[in-house]
Amino acid sequence: MEEEWGSPKFVAEQFQRWYAQHSHTIPAPIELPQREFAFLNFFGRGMHRHIKLPTLQELQRYLRQNAPAHSYHSSGYYDDPTADMTRKGWLGADLVFDIDADHFELPCQKVHDKWWCRNCDEQGTGHLPEICKCGKAQFTTETWICEKCLQAAKHETHKLLDILIQDFGVHPDELITNFSGNRGYHVHVHNNDFKTLNQHARREIVDYIMAIGLEPEFQGFSQRNRGTRSTLAMGGWRGRTGRALYDYISEAKPEEIKKLKLGRKASSNIINNKEQVLETLMERHPSNITPLIDPKSLKTVLNEALGLQASEIDTVVTTDIHRLIRLPNTLHGKTGWQVQTIPYGALPDYDPLVKSVVMSGSPVKLEFKRAPKIQLKGEGYGPYNEEEVTLPMEAALFYLCKKGARVKNE
Amino acid sequence: MYFCDIVKPRERNYLKQVKTWHQSRDINDKACHASNYSEMMSEREAAKYPFIQAGVKLVEGLNLQLDDLTDPNYRKVLDRAAERVTEAIIQGEVSAKLAEPLTELLSYPIAVMYVTLIGEQFLSRRFALAEAVRSYNLLQQEYEDKIMQIAEDEFSWNIVKDPEYIDGTQHNLKLRFSDYLRSASGFHEPKWKLVNRKMEDGFVSLTGIEAARLIQVEVDNWVKERVSTPSKFSLPQEIQSRVDAVRKVFEENRSKLGGSRLPEEIINEAFPPCMIYCLEGLLSGRRASHMERFGLTSFLVNIGMPIDQMVSFYTDVTDFDESLTRYQIEHIAGLKGNRTRYTPPTCATLRTHGICRNMDSICKTVSHPLSYYRKKAWRIQRREKEKAKETQAETSNTTKQE
Ligand code: SF4
Ligand SMILES: [Zn+2]
Ligand SMILES: [Zn+2]
Repeated sequence: MEEEWGSPKFVAEQFQRWYAQHSHTIPAPIELPQREFAFLNFFGRGMHRHIKLPTLQELQRYLRQNAPAHSYHSSGYYDDPTADMTRKGWLGADLVFDIDADHFELPCQKVHDKWWCRNCDEQGTGHLPEICKCGKAQFTTETWICEKCLQAAKHETHKLLDILIQDFGVHPDELITNFSGNRGYHVHVHNNDFKTLNQHARREIVDYIMAIGLEPEFQGFSQRNRGTRSTLAMGGWRGRTGRALYDYISEAKPEEIKKLKLGRKASSNIINNKEQVLETLMERHPSNITPLIDPKSLKTVLNEALGLQASEIDTVVTTDIHRLIRLPNTLHGKTGWQVQTIPYGALPDYDPLVKSVVMSGSPVKLEFKRAPKIQLKGEGYGPYNEEEVTLPMEAALFYLCKKGARVKNE
Repeated sequence: MYFCDIVKPRERNYLKQVKTWHQSRDINDKACHASNYSEMMSEREAAKYPFIQAGVKLVEGLNLQLDDLTDPNYRKVLDRAAERVTEAIIQGEVSAKLAEPLTELLSYPIAVMYVTLIGEQFLSRRFALAEAVRSYNLLQQEYEDKIMQIAEDEFSWNIVKDPEYIDGTQHNLKLRFSDYLRSASGFHEPKWKLVNRKMEDGFVSLTGIEAARLIQVEVDNWVKERVSTPSKFSLPQEIQSRVDAVRKVFEENRSKLGGSRLPEEIINEAFPPCMIYCLEGLLSGRRASHMERFGLTSFLVNIGMPIDQMVSFYTDVTDFDESLTRYQIEHIAGLKGNRTRYTPPTCATLRTHGICRNMDSICKTVSHPLSYYRKKAWRIQRREKEKAKETQAETSNTTKQE
């Protein structure tokens, strides 16, 4: 029988080997007895969920015995984690964030991501179009990862942590930051003030972090407002709005500004009187900006600029109070990497392509379908196209988990 | 719940005690109250704010029984209670009559009793809101310290005094964001969005009036909880007649207050832009997010699209599995699972998830896609009626000419 792409049996064995040695290092999420667990294995027989693992021993034993491809726990706390959804008895939930480079528009995706229309023979690279030429939107995709996507995700995570700590007053001890094991980062907040917030409140938090619904007039940018000081150094969105605008205007090229189709005066002020605009932002109350940039143009510019300060989080994950999220420090079945907890303060220097590549073993001979290049533990691999290559275990596992290759059995 | 204590017919051990208590205090005899200053204060406070614990205890302590209420001494209380509910129905706002604090104080639980006896959800909600507005009006006249104290003592808010000027307006209070969100996340005006507030270190800056407005929501919830379960028991004639009178006022005003209903037939032209976006996505086969599918399905269910029609529509334009699609739709329609019919997400939710697209002028006046639909449908129907009239007029004109 021909070997399946991705060689799930082989990968599963490697996962077993790793869990046998390392399951004792996996810590329990806090309030363990109230959590629901869920797992997927390599052979696709659906999700095993509504599982309760009330002690650390039981949790670790489960991982050792099952070596799951994907391991999750609930963000929620329940009276009875094993009951079905309506009878669980919701007690509260951590506030969780998911930052995934998949949601971003990045130039590197043009290099490593591909799509094909299933309806006609159109194909392309990078992000999917909303709709194909043929009027349908049924695509097959192949998405990969590179250090640039991971860097972009890290940047968004930094902005998120900054808002949580500065604006929401979250203590660093109440935050857990994890590399997601794939294209991004997860942040969990354990704090009693967040725990019982309902979906509406969480939606407001999402809007806050993404600056959705932000109105300049409430950040001081209105002629009706009075004030003497610049807001640039202030906390919250008052400061962030000013700083975003400042950074955007100081960096923007004239062509970019022209593309925004601002009012004539606003456009000319930003391009030709840049220094005056920046100085006003720096030295004076934002109400002094409106004579230079009319309110409508200001909104347009802010639309572009606020992204410099807002964080691009997944809106659904954070508003869902019954979310299943990856169990930190387990393995991710689509990469073979570890979902890794990163100590507070270590994020700037954290390199997932070194740190999270935790599995090793003897070299493996692979047969490739198609795969782009990647740097793992400082070593460069690929690209590969319909060829046979022998690779160290860590690289082999990555390409197998991404289903770009299969084990070549002699 | 102290309300039950009043209406539950119990042994009448305390009756004597209550009667003496009441007789010793003719409601209009102020001199009598002055004998105990602090008690008088708390009576007045409780008359203003029925939710404060001291007031709740005071009423509980009286341990009134149903039959006690038939005593002529209570006629005023029974009348004022009926008036509270009537005001809620007609003005949407209960007045504050503090000249006779005891009457005002006791009339609140009786009003609650009337509302639960009538047992209409819509009335319960309207009454809760009207009582909350009453509290808001009174709170606005209080000093900030008083507002803070009520917020802390009655609703356990984490609130501090820390004055600052924001754009020239003095903001004296700072409130923990979680307490802020509990009340404000239901508001629609941009100024209440958290992103438009000044927040630092987990505390949101507020003016005293704004704090009072947020307390209104807490009061609304507090009252709602107490009027939401209908009750039924036989009443003495004096009370029954008043309940009947209030019910009559409610029935007379019901249709006026209910707002316009959704049109009977589905009017495609009245769909809001967000739902058109979801529909187009579905038609093109774009992989719709869960939120898009849920939003559209619940919208269609609520405007009355028959389930069979939806199932065939969905399975025709997508490669969805028929039985799974049916199950999901029936779930949203409340025919399966926990049997609640889901209402579509609000505009705010759709906006968060990136589904609010191509807003038009009607969008600016609504906060829910169903209100958009209702509004636009109404406009379309009115336009059609006018046209019909015109053509009728024209035809009659031509007939005359002939
Ligand atoms: S404002 Fe509301 S109704 Fe209008 S498009 Fe947005 S979500 Fe839909
Ligand atoms: Zn196509
Ligand atoms: Zn990349």
